[in-house]
Amino acid sequence: MIRTRNLWITVLLLWSLAPLLWQLYTSFCSNESLIHTFATHQHRWTLENYRQVLTANPPFWRYLLNSAFVGISSTGLTLLLAIPAAYSLVKVPQNFARGARLFLLGAALFPYVLLFLALLEIARSLNLGNNLLALSFPYAALSMPLAVLLLSSAFRDLPSEIEEAARLEGLGLWQRLRWVLIPLIGPATASTAILVFLFSWNEYPIALTWISTTDLLTLPVAIARIAGSSVYSIPYGAYAAATVLGSLPLLLLVIIFQRQIVSGLTQGAIKG
Amino acid sequence: MIQLLLLPAALLIALIFGIPLLRYLWLSFHADSVITSLVAIPNNGANWFRLFNDQRFWQDTYQTARFAFVSVSLEIFLALGIALLLDQRWRGRGVVRAITLLPWALPTTVMALGWRWIFNTPNGPIEQFAKLIGLQHLYGLQDLNILANPSLTWLATVVGDVWKTTPFVALILLAGLQTIPNDLYEAFDLEGGKPCAGLFKITLPLLQPYLLLGLLFRLAQAFGVFDLIQVMTGGGPASSTESLALYAYLNAMRFLDFGYSATVMIASFLLLVFICLFGWLVIHQTKHFREVVK
Amino acid sequence: MTSKRAWALAILLLLTSFALVTSWALILRPIQVNILMPASIAKSTAGLVRQFNNDHHGYINLQVTQGPQDTEAMSDLAISSLLLGKSPYDALLIDVHWLPKYARAGWLTPLDPWIEQQEIDSLAPGAQLGNSYDDHLYRWPLMADMGLLYWRTDLISKPPRTPEELVKVSQRLQQEGKVPYGYIWQGRQYEGLSCVFLEVLDGFGGQWLTPGTDAVGLDSSASVKAAGWLRDLIISGVSPEAVVNYSEPETLQAFKSGDAALMRNWPYAWGEVQKDNSPIKGKVGVTTMVAAPGHTSTATLGSWGFSILKGSSNPEAAAEAIAFLTSTYAQKQLFLNYSYTPTKATLFKDPELLSKSQILPDLAKALQHTEQRPQTPVYAQISDVLQRQLSSILTSQGELKTAMDRAQVNTEQILLAAGETR
Repeated sequence: MIRTRNLWITVLLLWSLAPLLWQLYTSFCSNESLIHTFATHQHRWTLENYRQVLTANPPFWRYLLNSAFVGISSTGLTLLLAIPAAYSLVKVPQNFARGARLFLLGAALFPYVLLFLALLEIARSLNLGNNLLALSFPYAALSMPLAVLLLSSAFRDLPSEIEEAARLEGLGLWQRLRWVLIPLIGPATASTAILVFLFSWNEYPIALTWISTTDLLTLPVAIARIAGSSVYSIPYGAYAAATVLGSLPLLLLVIIFQRQIVSGLTQGAIKG
Repeated sequence: MIQLLLLPAALLIALIFGIPLLRYLWLSFHADSVITSLVAIPNNGANWFRLFNDQRFWQDTYQTARFAFVSVSLEIFLALGIALLLDQRWRGRGVVRAITLLPWALPTTVMALGWRWIFNTPNGPIEQFAKLIGLQHLYGLQDLNILANPSLTWLATVVGDVWKTTPFVALILLAGLQTIPNDLYEAFDLEGGKPCAGLFKITLPLLQPYLLLGLLFRLAQAFGVFDLIQVMTGGGPASSTESLALYAYLNAMRFLDFGYSATVMIASFLLLVFICLFGWLVIHQTKHFREVVK
Repeated sequence: MTSKRAWALAILLLLTSFALVTSWALILRPIQVNILMPASIAKSTAGLVRQFNNDHHGYINLQVTQGPQDTEAMSDLAISSLLLGKSPYDALLIDVHWLPKYARAGWLTPLDPWIEQQEIDSLAPGAQLGNSYDDHLYRWPLMADMGLLYWRTDLISKPPRTPEELVKVSQRLQQEGKVPYGYIWQGRQYEGLSCVFLEVLDGFGGQWLTPGTDAVGLDSSASVKAAGWLRDLIISGVSPEAVVNYSEPETLQAFKSGDAALMRNWPYAWGEVQKDNSPIKGKVGVTTMVAAPGHTSTATLGSWGFSILKGSSNPEAAAEAIAFLTSTYAQKQLFLNYSYTPTKATLFKDPELLSKSQILPDLAKALQHTEQRPQTPVYAQISDVLQRQLSSILTSQGELKTAMDRAQVNTEQILLAAGETR
């Protein structure tokens, strides 16, 4: 029984890691040795791919920085709007709240890629193109439904006596939110924040159409662009180096916040 | 007062979801393309007429649906296994769970590029491995040519999608498993039920809402597949992997035909709503059916 | 009261001096010109750009933005920057087949005020094509570019001239075990496939679109023959199956490592195969594409050229930068260092260039036989239709005649729709 389980665990790990390990391996190989696999090569191992990616114009960390910036600003904006909305969703009449929740669920399911053309037009008319901060608006809006759902289920779980007690103490609405309720939903907020951050970090079609200046590209777009970056040879090594560098921050994020991500998703699943 | 707190979020959602859909509806009844010098001119539904006669639109619909159904079913199936595995208690479970989650956290484009290299002919590992065991001789080929063979390429995109999104479904199912009280299984064991039967008699029925949620969520997302296809295959070979979203993108950004692009997007949206409603109804019916049987 | 007035005066003074200083600074600040180029060209022109900026120090500052290499990704980037309004670029390097689309969309400024007729006349015949739309000059070529047939001089004594010869010589070399494959080309479903097909189609005496009319010739017997010939190359093993996923880099890579005796590619490849690390250095010749007996061989016109965007605030300065980057001097540099084919007719007779390069006469000859892809704003659509059907033929998904008929019908529909909405 335990042996079969270990077998399955091994299979699972292999399945999850093998493609990444292959990229890691590739990133340290010289291009010649990749084209003639299994042949012996004097210059098999190299750091050249990383050098190439990091010294490109603009250097690769620039994209990581852009993505991080967009991720943080979108997360901030989302929470700023989602927390009050989630709170009020608990307080409004049940029928209305149920309707709103259904609507939010529909919006969360919506394949947002279909919105890119109209969003491009919005960016043009409001002059939001090539602006990383402006990118937070669509990102916040797109992650809003899920964020409100997750947070409102957290608010709902709080015993109503707590808020009642705070009210009797003479605390106003804002004070109650600020000093009592928001600290209490801290864990749910953290999970929501992580999910929003991951979404904004990884989003592709909107960033693809809203950003045309090379210096401002976010990571997913920059990576996709490396795909067609050379006429002379196919830079698989450089691709791989870019994928490794692009994965590292997320690897860290997942390892550090594993618990929050899991509880966020599971919470959402239970209550959503 | 309290309702006012909903307002900013609602406004932002309306701006980013509502306005585009209305705009598409409007655009879909206009010619707005390079031919009209990017000015919208009403064209009496010509876009819709074109859509119904557009073989490519229907082929892409078929391909998108095929991609969505196959990858989502695989994902649900695999995710169920993973969730059952992760639901048990064993040492190192936390680490394994983090690693399982990793593919889901990576940007799609990052690994789409990786898959392109993994499926590369003749230097990628899959091709090398196939050569090692002589798989290609089965088909009388020199190479498998995965990304150049229309009957294989779409499967490669399915692999890419399954790899990335199974962890997400697994987590949703894991959440469901954790809501099932252990006493149920204990009682079942006492009655002498086989462990395997427990899966079908207890787990799956109780997991149903979670399976449904995962299914719905993934189906909608897979139906709008774009990043993976655009970076991994660009829609080729022979347009065999082109999805509806990619077709809409090409119409807008490459052909500069915004009227038609909007039509394609509205139509895909309607198709999706239709599929979801249909799925909903079927499930509703079966539920009803079960209650009647009881 | 007086103190208030004194304050007002002081503030006024401050504001005026501030305005004066800023306007002075603005006048003295060099005019910024930003040009978007695909990566490889941005790299090759870096030296010239530095030189231009030195010569115009304090007057014009030319900046080059490096775009993606792949022409379609480059087009997506350019278009999204144009659609966003307020494009950050003053000028673009555009691929020849984008021109009608960009011009019709109203994104480009006519270059007529800056470029005189005699300059146009000084271009080599092939380079004169594809720069105008609706009788206005919108694009000024940086280089000439046309499809070429590369052949291995160490394996073949003279290059094949007909499709039949090509197959025969390939099969012979393959049987002798000298090369794994005979001929490689760009068979992936993308713009390059249309370029490949146009050459073969012309070689069999067909025509994609009759210029000036909407007559489509994709279901003609020549066209079916051409597509069939390409398909048979793969079936007979003259070309590898993987060719249906090849674009230029894969083709060049395979040719360079000695996998094939013949290759279809653009002139830039010459510089690459002649590099010191190339295993086939000094063993390569170039010629034009094969053609069936009785038909002339043609070369698809490629090439990148500069266009100034309508939104540019400094078209004058941009035009000056473009004039320098396309000058005789610049063309010599680019040819000698990067094998970019010159556009000026006189350069093809330049003794210095002739002494340094043995293929210049071949390039000149190919340039005389260039053929343009259809000149229509909906080119992207009709090319896409063609690529799709060709790809289905090459991957044995579609039956030859059915697929070409479908390409014909779809193309006619697109052209008809374009005509109706006009």
